Amino acid sequence: MKALMSVGALIGVLGLLMLIGMIFGVVPSNTVRLVEGYMPMQVLSELAIFVAGFAGLSYLANSMGMTIPRFWQGVLFWAFIQTYLKFRIYPPIPFSVRAMYGVVSFVAVFMWVSANEEDWKKFRQPILNVLDANTGFHKALRTMYLILLPILIGGFSFMTMKPSVDEPIELRTVHPAPPASTKVHGKTYTLQTSQNPYRVNLEGKYDQAYSNKLIVEQGMGRLMAPNANPWDDKAEGYLKYVREGGEIFFQNCHFCHGDNLNGRGLHAFAFNPIPANFTDPGTIAQLQETFIFWRVAKGGIGLPNEGFPWASVMPPWEQHLTTDEIWKVILFEYWHTGYYPRTWD
Amino acid sequence: MGSVTRTKLMSVMALCAMIGLLLMPILVAIPALAGDGGAPAADGKKEGGEAKVEKGKDVYYKTEGIVSGPPAPKTTDSEKDYPRYNFESRVLLWFANQQHLYYGSFVLAVPIFCMVIEFMGVVTKDKAMAKRYDQLAYDFIKISLTAYSLTAILGGILIFTFLTLYPAFFQYLSGIFRPVMHIYALMFVAESGTLYIYYYGWDKMKEGFLKWIHLSMSVVLNVIGTILMFLANSWIGFMMSPAGVDEQGRYLGNIWHVIHTALWNPLNLHRILGNMAFGGGVVAAYAAYRFLSAKTDEERAHYDWMGYIAMALGVAFLIPLPFAGYWLMREVYAYRQQMGITLMGGLLAWLFIIQATMIGILFLSTNYYLWQALGRMRGAEKYQRYIKYLVFLLTCGYLVFITPHTIVMTPAELKAMGGQQHPVLGNYGVMSAKNGGINVIITTTVLSFVWYMRGNKVSTVSWAKFGNIFMGCFFFFAYLNIIMLAIYGYYIPANVRVGLSVPQVATTLSCLFFMFALNSVMMKGAKQMGPIEWGKISARSQYALIMLATAFTWMMGLMGYIRSSVRLFWHVNEIMRDNSPWAYTHTVGFAANMISANVLFFWISIMFVFWLGALAAKKAPVEAKAAVPGRATAPAVGH
Repeated sequence: MKALMSVGALIGVLGLLMLIGMIFGVVPSNTVRLVEGYMPMQVLSELAIFVAGFAGLSYLANSMGMTIPRFWQGVLFWAFIQTYLKFRIYPPIPFSVRAMYGVVSFVAVFMWVSANEEDWKKFRQPILNVLDANTGFHKALRTMYLILLPILIGGFSFMTMKPSVDEPIELRTVHPAPPASTKVHGKTYTLQTSQNPYRVNLEGKYDQAYSNKLIVEQGMGRLMAPNANPWDDKAEGYLKYVREGGEIFFQNCHFCHGDNLNGRGLHAFAFNPIPANFTDPGTIAQLQETFIFWRVAKGGIGLPNEGFPWASVMPPWEQHLTTDEIWKVILFEYWHTGYYPRTWD
Repeated sequence: MGSVTRTKLMSVMALCAMIGLLLMPILVAIPALAGDGGAPAADGKKEGGEAKVEKGKDVYYKTEGIVSGPPAPKTTDSEKDYPRYNFESRVLLWFANQQHLYYGSFVLAVPIFCMVIEFMGVVTKDKAMAKRYDQLAYDFIKISLTAYSLTAILGGILIFTFLTLYPAFFQYLSGIFRPVMHIYALMFVAESGTLYIYYYGWDKMKEGFLKWIHLSMSVVLNVIGTILMFLANSWIGFMMSPAGVDEQGRYLGNIWHVIHTALWNPLNLHRILGNMAFGGGVVAAYAAYRFLSAKTDEERAHYDWMGYIAMALGVAFLIPLPFAGYWLMREVYAYRQQMGITLMGGLLAWLFIIQATMIGILFLSTNYYLWQALGRMRGAEKYQRYIKYLVFLLTCGYLVFITPHTIVMTPAELKAMGGQQHPVLGNYGVMSAKNGGINVIITTTVLSFVWYMRGNKVSTVSWAKFGNIFMGCFFFFAYLNIIMLAIYGYYIPANVRVGLSVPQVATTLSCLFFMFALNSVMMKGAKQMGPIEWGKISARSQYALIMLATAFTWMMGLMGYIRSSVRLFWHVNEIMRDNSPWAYTHTVGFAANMISANVLFFWISIMFVFWLGALAAKKAPVEAKAAVPGRATAPAVGH
């Protein structure tokens, strides 16, 4: 047990040193990189390692007679989580989400330190001491709080009331609900039931399973499926349409949506928000092809009221592309990102 | 004929009368269900001696039917269609509806608890325990009785509100559901009759065969209550996903189609489980309040025990609730994609984040209560040192579960993030991760329950060590499976990903059933480290119960609002448009305030109901008081 805890303690110390080093630039900030695509599990795993490390540290300190008071364990752990969220994760997490995480981690710390009566007594003792202990130190602390608290509250009130020149917070609806049907080039498409006419097998029949097998594999490297190169001259059917969609994409879309479809095109950073990142699992991977068809055809100005504040400058592509071209470019987007369009069967 | 035989005969007759009451509305309804509902054909004209019938196509079932009712009225923003005070009519209706639903849920849930607890009392061999269970069930139904009258009063207020403020809409709805509404009213009569016989017959049918008759009455009572709820659900199901009418809203003569809409069954299941969890929470909060204000150790012991039983029953129904919710959402998406997107990715997405937060609070409170409850058992200390790891698992699951897909941020933050999608948050914000998150939370809750059940015991079976290792491995692989499936969900088509929830749920439920069963076998004849000292639990645990109940109440209000709001500007989705001046969606802030006001009113009024219940308790006979559970001699097998 002691050996296990010692290893845990070692990991905890090394992890902490590494994190502090990276925050202050003592060690390169990319020493332990967060890799896109693996980040979510990486973050959770790192936190688990830190928890194990801190448990080991606490155990060792205890066995050496240098017990860290429970109060400070709680406070320091909460501070660690906030530091981790603020400085470790890049791109930075917006404040609203960090505030949510901060409250949850505060509740978690409370649950931990008050899970049993003994721990709870240990935790609250320093707080009770500040309130009523008669030592000189605690009297001084009380006086300090008496002065500091009104100043802090006053400062907070001042900062809250002070007029701000920042742009207001936006609660933007990224995926507004689509209409039941949409009319493009004189034809009405029912979004629930319409299908991409180019998602076909070699026999020319609509076949989602066939096209799913031929998409670019997800993960590191993003490899094309074997014998599924759309740029092969002999490619027919679905793959040929993917190529045609790709050509349309690179003639029209990649300037904003990027040549890797990740929303970082040549002109992307002229807009705020930047264009949609199709490689993110929260965009086209969550939607039916017909939803994309409607969004591409109608563009930013075609967004419904629900899409307020309509922060999209995408042109209504129905004015520039034919219906077939729109379907083909959608085919290419799914093929390239390796995602499957949502279906309901 | 001896008096005992006479009593038995009377009891059987009472039971038969109840079943008769249950069947009466159905028998009465048969002609209505079999026919065209009695409504004359709207455009039926006599021509040459033959009735010319017009046919219409069902908007959902796509079947043809004879037009048997008028089209949905096209309302205008006028005093005629929307009579009003100088106030938003919708808010008045919202209030009346919500209060009726709170009380309706409570009075439907509590009799089910009574049935379960009375059954436990009947089958338990320990006479003292049997008496305790019986008294508890009686206490429950007593509270329910006062609440029942209030439910009926609130139902009346709700109907008057509809009639006076939304006459055109209500006329249309009652025209379509005319036979259903009559059956509903008759069912209500049956429910009242059954409830009164069940309550007032309690003392007369205490022992032996008569007790079984009494128990059977509770089954009949609950069957009636459940059917009542199903019928009421058919109205909201119709408003969300209409069926049985044509595009103009004309009734096509098939009442079953009107009832059995796309969302009716998911709504039924979700509401049954929700009501039970809510009822458990309210009773647990009542017990917590009484515990905190108790003057004696006996009182504390009794209400500690009552709180535990109510919490356990509530949580038993809370655990499957997210899965029922998942099914409902799946059906919503299948019914109308835009409705699903409005709910989960669009206009109402942030309300869903609040809902996820509330669900998390429910599970966190439950776990916290169980950890506190370990404190009233000697020998449970060995588990307490590992609680921090459970906190970590719960927190990770919770953080993923509440991560929003649509993030609130300033334009500067948006720019710094480099786009609307975040590489970490974006992954946590979608369903695959959230399914993993909630399953981790529920599995951890199951683990907490297992720890609680073995808190003061040491297994004496010869294979105890193997059993413990097996359980440890089972939980470890369950977590692993849930997380791996959550990750795998990103690599497969959406329709397959939706199906992944099945093995995830199966994993969680396997933990629940297999581990509970295995634990029970291992703990049979286990060595007791000490008794459960009922009443010796921290005050924090009772605040956790109050938190649990408040979260339930708030969440019910929220979910009701979300379900209703998703129709946007429709009274009946895509059939009858809401042309009142209030056909817009409220802001999140206004909705939250309104829900809070409803919650506050409910708790103030239910406190009054509890107070009335307490008044009656003071007049309880000495015999009942003697059965107050939780004295120092309370056995350690209470959980």
